[in-house]
Amino acid sequence: MTDLARSGQRLGSLAGKLLLVGLVNALAVYGLVATYAVRDWGIFAVILVATAAVDYVYFSRRTLASRYLLPGLIFLLIFQVYVVIYTAYAGFTNVGDGHNLDKPRALQHILAVSEKRVPGSPPYKVQVLAGPDDRLHLLATGPDGRTTLDGRPATGVPADHRVLPFRDLVGRQQEVLALRVPLQDGSLRTEDGSTGYIAKPTLRYADDTLTDTVTGTVYRATERGYFESADGKVLTPGWKEVVGLDNYVRAFTDERLRAPLLSVFAWTFAFAALSVLTTFALGLLLALTLNREGLRGRGIYRSLLVLPYAVPSFLSALVWTGMLNQSFGFVNHGLLGGADIPWLNDATLAKVSVLLVNLWLGFPYMFLICTGALQAVPAEVNEAARIDGAGPWQLFRRVTLPLLLVSTGPLLVASFAFNFNNFTVIYFVTGGGPNIPDAPITLGSTDLLISAVYKVAFGGAGREWGFACAMSTIIFLVVAAISAAGFRRTRALEETYS
Amino acid sequence: MRRPALALGLVLLAAACGSQAPEQAQPPSPSASATSPAAKGEATTIVEPTDGPIKRAAAADLVIWADDTRSPIIQKIAEKFAADKGVKVAVQQLEFGDIRDNLVTQGPAGEGPDVVIGAHDWLGKLVTNGAVAPLELGDKLGQFKEVAIKAFSYDGQVYGLPYAIENIALFRNTELAPETPKSFDELMKVGLDLVKQKKATLPLALQVGPEGDPYHFFPIASSFGSGVFDVKADGGYDPAKLLIDNEGGLAFAKALDGWRKSKALSADVTYDIAKEAFNSGKAPFQLTGPWNTDDAVKAGIKLAVEPIPSAGGKPAAPFVGVQGFMISANAKNKLVANEFVLNYLGTPEVSKELYDSGKRPPAMTSVYEQVKSDPIIAGFAAAGDIGQPLPSIPAMDAVWTEYGHAERDILLGKGDPVKLMKQAATKIRDKIGD
Amino acid sequence: MTRWFRVYGWRHLVGLLALVFALLPIVFVISASLNPRGTLTASVTLFADASLDNYRDLAGIPYGFWFGNTLWIAAATAVATVLLAASGAYAFSRFRFKGRRLGLLGLLLVQMFPQVLAAVAIFLLMAQIKGALPGIGLGTQFGLVLVYLGGAMGVNIFLIKGFFDSIPTELDDAAKVDGASHTRVFFTIILRLGAPVLAVIALLSFIATVNEFMIASIMLQDPQRKTLAVGLYGLISERLSANWGVFSAGALLGAVPSVLLFRFLQRYIVSGLLRGSVKG
Repeated sequence: MTDLARSGQRLGSLAGKLLLVGLVNALAVYGLVATYAVRDWGIFAVILVATAAVDYVYFSRRTLASRYLLPGLIFLLIFQVYVVIYTAYAGFTNVGDGHNLDKPRALQHILAVSEKRVPGSPPYKVQVLAGPDDRLHLLATGPDGRTTLDGRPATGVPADHRVLPFRDLVGRQQEVLALRVPLQDGSLRTEDGSTGYIAKPTLRYADDTLTDTVTGTVYRATERGYFESADGKVLTPGWKEVVGLDNYVRAFTDERLRAPLLSVFAWTFAFAALSVLTTFALGLLLALTLNREGLRGRGIYRSLLVLPYAVPSFLSALVWTGMLNQSFGFVNHGLLGGADIPWLNDATLAKVSVLLVNLWLGFPYMFLICTGALQAVPAEVNEAARIDGAGPWQLFRRVTLPLLLVSTGPLLVASFAFNFNNFTVIYFVTGGGPNIPDAPITLGSTDLLISAVYKVAFGGAGREWGFACAMSTIIFLVVAAISAAGFRRTRALEETYS
Repeated sequence: MRRPALALGLVLLAAACGSQAPEQAQPPSPSASATSPAAKGEATTIVEPTDGPIKRAAAADLVIWADDTRSPIIQKIAEKFAADKGVKVAVQQLEFGDIRDNLVTQGPAGEGPDVVIGAHDWLGKLVTNGAVAPLELGDKLGQFKEVAIKAFSYDGQVYGLPYAIENIALFRNTELAPETPKSFDELMKVGLDLVKQKKATLPLALQVGPEGDPYHFFPIASSFGSGVFDVKADGGYDPAKLLIDNEGGLAFAKALDGWRKSKALSADVTYDIAKEAFNSGKAPFQLTGPWNTDDAVKAGIKLAVEPIPSAGGKPAAPFVGVQGFMISANAKNKLVANEFVLNYLGTPEVSKELYDSGKRPPAMTSVYEQVKSDPIIAGFAAAGDIGQPLPSIPAMDAVWTEYGHAERDILLGKGDPVKLMKQAATKIRDKIGD
Repeated sequence: MTRWFRVYGWRHLVGLLALVFALLPIVFVISASLNPRGTLTASVTLFADASLDNYRDLAGIPYGFWFGNTLWIAAATAVATVLLAASGAYAFSRFRFKGRRLGLLGLLLVQMFPQVLAAVAIFLLMAQIKGALPGIGLGTQFGLVLVYLGGAMGVNIFLIKGFFDSIPTELDDAAKVDGASHTRVFFTIILRLGAPVLAVIALLSFIATVNEFMIASIMLQDPQRKTLAVGLYGLISERLSANWGVFSAGALLGAVPSVLLFRFLQRYIVSGLLRGSVKG
């Protein structure tokens, strides 16, 4: 290569880099202007930091590795790390049914609903008028035929007022809805612009308390995120409130949870480990078997083996459930000629069935991974080992498998973690069942930690998101600890290799 | 609905070994699905959006959420309303169960609608979360069937304009079973005889499914004098008084055990199996609702729809579900929403139009009078007349799962039926007490 | 004969057994897609009633839109995922920097957070983005692709890094002696020799995106903007009126692009590029 060509190349790549980074900066400026326009400082700051990072990384001389990491990292931080942090944070709140709003909004809603039609009061026919100053007025005709304008007797539409057509009401509906005409038992208001009712607030707000205007009951804002009366009656909706460690404390102190969740933990661990083992074993077996040049129909085999992965997993999970039905399923009645095996009705067999279905769902993934990874096993290594007199099994055990595990090891750890929380397959195949009637909480024999927790958090009267988030965080810490230990082993592998 | 478990969970399909986004799922919500699946077939028409969703929702004067079977109907009516009033209306289509959940989560975020179509048993959740606004029906109250208004009332206020009433009834294949059975025992006898003669595979198509099916089993339980919750003085359900293990409830549990022994009922029957058996003429009876009428008729079944015969001596009361229109508490166009719901949908003409395009038993009395000559509509109404509104209080969420498990476990022969029912009741009380 | 069996025959035997296992439930789905009564698992007798009604019914729903949307979303996600993951893997494979080992561990651990509750956080995030930048916020397919790219590095990076590790560094060095920059080495040597594993990642990412439901369903509500998974799910979301026939037909057709993509990528996956390069 000549020096000229070389410097030409450099120039070309520099131009390309400038163009790309320039484009990123241009988009960022647009984003900054747009977010500034709506005063969204959170997103504004994220764009600013991300762009600064891009500019620094691509123009500094000491950031080679970061240049390759940054693009993926930005997406990872925004869409995954943020989500994790958000969920962990929600674990410290009481967010859930009854506590989905913030406090001002909850209060506003309670007050709005508390303005009730005076019982037995008649409907009024109303028209919304605009006065000469364009202010709105309510012309109402009562059941007795008397017409009033803003509560004062009137004979009709005054000359300098005009009746607003519906189209105009639409544009000013907040004003219309806010109109109140004080009458003796309450205020006349309209919610549709054509009918009015006399309504009266039944709650009064002052000093962070609400007072019932009829009974005199006082509701105070409490730390539970409710307006609560002295005898424990609450007004709904409540609001989101930070409750500190409450959710975590409950997770560890609730007697009814502890024993069942410990026994579920053992099964969850077994499920995850066996799922990885079986799918990897079958996937690897098939990858090795079909990784032979000259095997006819190799392409067909491979394509069809991918099918279980290409069909929506919940559809196939439901098909499996149907096939494993004890009295009517295809496995008992088609394959086994009228057997009566309780595949999903027996506690132990259901565990086997779930593993079987998960094997079916998961082996194509492992098959693809292994097929890809196998291509990196250099032929010479195999050659050399064969010359040394190693048999096929020894070859596999000593050479191929260790080499494969270098790149697939972390994936197996990830797969373990995935299956540890594999809500989907349990949910669709058994729903956690068969049910254990004697358990103190709703629990089935195939429930994993995550599905058991969700039954607790969402199965009662109302969903407790905050509690579910806290439990998720605890489960995460458990899986992370196990996985980090597993990951250390892959480090050893990596060093052996290099 | 009433497959609480499955309906809720279908939401979660995630690729099993996703390299992409790791397992994603939604939390279960024990009554996510609602009272009423629509007649199928209508799903083939789809609302034509006139513009992208963002601009559309922002620029529209009225945003309506409807499920796939109803959005074409609503779209047509909404277009007429829009033309009459000179406003822009947008109909957005969501899965039925999502309407409820998204109203709670998306409404406060400013992404919600003005009007939704929904089921009355969502009210507990919607009111608790401040997601719906009360509706002042005024003089219109009297135009609807009492049960419909009762269903849409919560804490003394009405929250929706009812339009259809749905309940299950007895479907009878008149070729297999020419006579109306006088009692549940007679029904089972006819069915079991047909099975013996190999003319049927199921004596009664009644699904249990993986989680049990308290909704479809309820008429049987209620005929023993059982129930879910006792009624308070103001007509609402009292979550502190669970009835599933009262005297009648335990008699019901024993009866289930008897039907297991006589092979009249099987825990392995799923909705798919029940539906296939009845619609292919392999079952003389089915307990099901209006959602299955079209399919049964299309399959050529000679169909009679009748009240469910009593098994325990008292009337077999099904749960009644009411569909209606509700206004979001976070509606940006509340005035237009009120005008649309009260003064447009709430007229007999539009109510009739809704009936004509969906064939759901109407909630407006005058419309019902017009259509009651249809024997199927009349059959459902007769079965539902003794029914009780499906409880809408949040505590109901705690009931479905355990009640269903108890029924299923009894039908699987997992132990003493009385003990199983009592264990379930204990767990439910425990959850509600929390 | 026996030699044939020792080399090939047993492979066919294993392959056929695996096919039976893999395809049995699929046969059920095919049978359901032909069943005019719309049930999924009720029948033991397969193909008892067969008609193409369900496939015809697909014409009455915006199936074409869903299919097209899914194809471009999945293709865009797959391509971008491969680029992001490959460049990340290149950094981990070829550079030694502070926090490298910790970064790898962190990457793995982030994936382990139970994602069942993620939808709410993503919804709120995208709704906020929509407020300022409607083009990439809630309701847009482009925004959906961006969310998917959050998982691009994830576990993919490990598989790719493992593969890159096995590409001899001598090749890089030789190119650098010739004056090639890091960028050039990455694009002309690493990406080319890494083709097998990149093809695998592209395929996995494509399939996962096609089948992804949760995030797509909160992001897209307009009927014509939906993906296949979301649109089809609408057909069966009402358990009691669910039409499994049309659903199965739609799901089967939806699996075709994934299988075709695999057929196409297969030659890259097993190309033996790397072996050649090692010898040379």
